[in-house]
Amino acid sequence: MKLSFSKLVQIAAVLGLVVLAVMLFSGNMTWFSTEPPVEIQPNLDHQFRAIPQSPNTFFADGKSLREPVEGSIARGAQPYALGQGDIDAAETANVDPNLPNTEFVLARGQNRFNTFCSPCHYYNGQSENSAVSKKGWAGIPNLTRPETAALSNARIFHIISAGQNLMPSYADKIDPIDRWAIIRYLRSLQGVEGVASKPVASTATN
Amino acid sequence: MFSRKFDMGVKIGGAVAGGVVAVLVLIGYFGFRNSFADVGYRPEQPVPFSHKLHAGQLQIHCQYCHAGVEKSAHSPVPTTQTCMNCHTAVKAESPKLQLVRDSYESGNPIQWVRIHKVPDYAHFNHSRHIRAQIDCKSCHGPVEEMGVVSQFKPLSMGWCLDCHRNPEANIVGARPISGVFTGKVHDMKNLLDSSYIFTPIKAQVHDKGELEPLTVPQYGGYHTKVPPVTVAGIPHPKKAGIGPENCSSCHY
Repeated sequence: MKLSFSKLVQIAAVLGLVVLAVMLFSGNMTWFSTEPPVEIQPNLDHQFRAIPQSPNTFFADGKSLREPVEGSIARGAQPYALGQGDIDAAETANVDPNLPNTEFVLARGQNRFNTFCSPCHYYNGQSENSAVSKKGWAGIPNLTRPETAALSNARIFHIISAGQNLMPSYADKIDPIDRWAIIRYLRSLQGVEGVASKPVASTATN
Repeated sequence: MFSRKFDMGVKIGGAVAGGVVAVLVLIGYFGFRNSFADVGYRPEQPVPFSHKLHAGQLQIHCQYCHAGVEKSAHSPVPTTQTCMNCHTAVKAESPKLQLVRDSYESGNPIQWVRIHKVPDYAHFNHSRHIRAQIDCKSCHGPVEEMGVVSQFKPLSMGWCLDCHRNPEANIVGARPISGVFTGKVHDMKNLLDSSYIFTPIKAQVHDKGELEPLTVPQYGGYHTKVPPVTVAGIPHPKKAGIGPENCSSCHY
């Protein structure tokens, strides 16, 4: 059978459409674009309102997030009042809530430790092999050494909250009760007797 | 009636015109859907930050920088302070980080370009989903493999409902890399309750590169396979009071 030119054009057009349709339906057709998505109906997609961490033309500084009025404390916030040097005050100001000796507390402490502490102190607290030390930050203390194990819970709470030497404050990232859970987990890493009800794998995450 | 040549011209012209119309219809119908138009949005960021390096290679958990996602509706883009926690010492002189250092000194935020956005009339709460142990990957894709982050899922209403109606097929359970806690943190008093029983999570070695979910997500108490609500015999998915399919769950 001899195909005419017009027939060939028709077949090619149909085949092309089928291929395009399959690609569209399967959803596997992805290309990357640096341009924002096209919106044919942007009705109320972008409202004039304050969206967290977004620019805002209403305020003079152009930020949606407002600075709190000086001296005020946001509802629910528990800012840490002491500075890095107030070591003696920390011993009395930080009252250990004595979290119960449960696996839940340890698991929560482990989760927070692995998230916030492990980039520098590694999952086992010994600070070798951590992301930051591999990248050339030397001298990060080993948290399982006897000197650190001898520190009081209140003092470690103070270090987490206010920072120490090059370590910045983590008060904005970790809730106070989570800090106490981290201390509980750290004690289990240090092998303090009577803390870990059950051995926790040191390299386990989450 | 007409010449043979003219006849053929009409045929070719018809085929081409039909094809063009069909392509336009397809583009009009599918091309502006979120799954097509929004997925793959990969804007250029002011600082060439690589999630592939930080989360993938260095295994820094998502929540180290996006801390607070457990507590707030909005998943925070990290403060410049967060960058400088490490970059005071690591790569402290790198020209790529000049903007970060400028921001740190001046106090003006780095103007990151937003990628993921639901319309302003829809409300999405990150903390609810994180506390239900739904991994970041479920919606954001494998960010730890992305050198430059792009949108991975359409974030359309249909996509939300697909998952809410059939969570097992769509949810990625909490992975170690995300830092999602695999216990219930709805109420922090659980930490103080000595009678609270926590099912211990399975220990997992981080260095193996295996990123299997640690637990089966609990979906925050949301029950799957909700029987269709019918009003006068007509399926009515938007009837008020049926969990996340209630309009006012997201449009309030």
